[in-house]
Amino acid sequence: MTNPLTLYVPIKQDDASQKIAQTVHDTFVATVKAGLDSSEIVHYARVSLIPNASGEGINALMLMTEFDGPMNPYLKFFWDNPGTQFAFSTIAGIALTPPNPPVKDLTGFENFINNNNLNEAGDMYAAYPQTVKEIEKAFSKEKAH
Amino acid sequence: MPATNSSQPDKNNVQGMIMRGYTHPWSCHLIFKFATQPGAKEFIKTILPYVQSAADWGDNKPEIMLNIGFTFTGLKLVSKLTTSDLAGFPPTFKQGPASAGSQQSLNDFGTSAPNTWVFGQTGKQVDCVVHVYGMDEPALNKLVKIVADAAVAGGLTEYLPIANGTKRLEEYATVPRNSIHFGYLDGIDQPALGWGSPSDPADLSAFLIGYPNKTSQPGPSYGNAGIFAKDGCYNAFRMLYQDVNVFDTFLETNAKAIAPKIGKSVEDTIAWLAAKLNGRWLNGSPLELSPDAPDPKTSHATAFGYSGDTTGMKCPFAAHNRVANPRDEELSEQGPPPRLIRRGMAYGQPFNSKTASEDRGLIGLFLCGSLSNQFELLYSWINTTNFSNLFPSQQGQDALIANRSMPGADTSFTIPTPAGPVEIESLPQFVVARGTAYCILPGISTLKSIVE
Repeated sequence: MTNPLTLYVPIKQDDASQKIAQTVHDTFVATVKAGLDSSEIVHYARVSLIPNASGEGINALMLMTEFDGPMNPYLKFFWDNPGTQFAFSTIAGIALTPPNPPVKDLTGFENFINNNNLNEAGDMYAAYPQTVKEIEKAFSKEKAH
Repeated sequence: MPATNSSQPDKNNVQGMIMRGYTHPWSCHLIFKFATQPGAKEFIKTILPYVQSAADWGDNKPEIMLNIGFTFTGLKLVSKLTTSDLAGFPPTFKQGPASAGSQQSLNDFGTSAPNTWVFGQTGKQVDCVVHVYGMDEPALNKLVKIVADAAVAGGLTEYLPIANGTKRLEEYATVPRNSIHFGYLDGIDQPALGWGSPSDPADLSAFLIGYPNKTSQPGPSYGNAGIFAKDGCYNAFRMLYQDVNVFDTFLETNAKAIAPKIGKSVEDTIAWLAAKLNGRWLNGSPLELSPDAPDPKTSHATAFGYSGDTTGMKCPFAAHNRVANPRDEELSEQGPPPRLIRRGMAYGQPFNSKTASEDRGLIGLFLCGSLSNQFELLYSWINTTNFSNLFPSQQGQDALIANRSMPGADTSFTIPTPAGPVEIESLPQFVVARGTAYCILPGISTLKSIVE
């Protein structure tokens, strides 16, 4: 079963935090690609920058992803991967409301993700039930033929 | 500051059931909701002298003893932790088993749905579970009465999960210990734990809070929450009804159709099919070591794996033991498979024509350092066997205990044989969740600090 994560993190308005948010957005795919590839459970993942109402600057950072299976048991995988840990730690570091307690270990990471996730399983429409592994396996067979 | 300051736990501070399997033949598991903080503390104070630690009792085996677990709501009420401290506990523990997050793994659909639970759902909040053990029935009853009287005095509400709210969840002592109502020998294999021995420090970090290392970091590890939780362990406490009538009917019906194909009598095919569902014969012999018939010599065997059985010819991929304890199975993810300490026992009378309508099943105590990375990860594999690329169906299910009402589940069961696969179109629901509570079994110094 595919599940959603919509991580919505309002960020600080100082110049340094705004620049970091822009960098997280611009480098997101390159930073997390190896980790997400090896997980073989993530269908899609993207970061969006939510603008301030004034039109100037970034209000919040939003990470949206769809993945196979339950979320919490697999967070350890992303915490253990240097690329994804760096991406999430960077986001936590510019949060307008810093995580309390701070993200120092896996439990802190689990809390940060759960506290800022806007979606549950029932919120998401999926056009197909297949997993990433099943899809990749099917298409790799097709290529082989 | 990390709460860890010693590499070895003090067994006098660890609740006994975590580090040792009790052999007391009688047990009762009392489930409570607190009313007030003073009442709850008075209750804990009264029963505290009976709490058994993990220290060696030598020749003086206690006649009666108990262990105590708190859910997050219970812990919130009785502890001195601030809101900020409490935020440091893992979300899976805080949100509880009926939450949307946990249900992504547990998948309690249909007759197992949380809104049918006799405890642990909205309106039936659990704060505390007390596990009472006795060497005989009078001894058990003596301590159960002490606990129950203390609960009344403290204004606690007790849930009686059996017989329409009239009976406690009590071990059925005349079912042979380590047997379950489906007839299988159970409790054969537990993780071989060194509890912090230099040869395998991962054992300690996987089960006790306060000893984090690179492999596992059971939380909370820091601050006041870390101090409170040190030497504790999580317990996924689950009441699992076992539908013996459905199980027996399934075996008998399918055995008649399968017997000619595999060249066995119907009676032998019933035993064969039961073994294929479980991965072990009724007597405990693993199919990997005794593929053709049960063997008393292998009935308690634990030294075997699945890596040499890549076709499932000996043990089907979806067999319960192959899913719930994958051993050396090739896994999709890096690292060793998650492990649990199981301290379960049977409840309810054995099934026969006179007792058919009565409740019976398993009192499941699944101990771990991380509810999400151990208990829920394994449960997600039980409901969707996608943890090994070797498994032909990535939407398949554990043949015995998975939830068949889960959307998208492949409930078929394939048994490879030399004469071709035996295909069972759809497995029925053999096991139904009747209630669940996620508890922490705190260290004994923490229990004392609560009532000071």
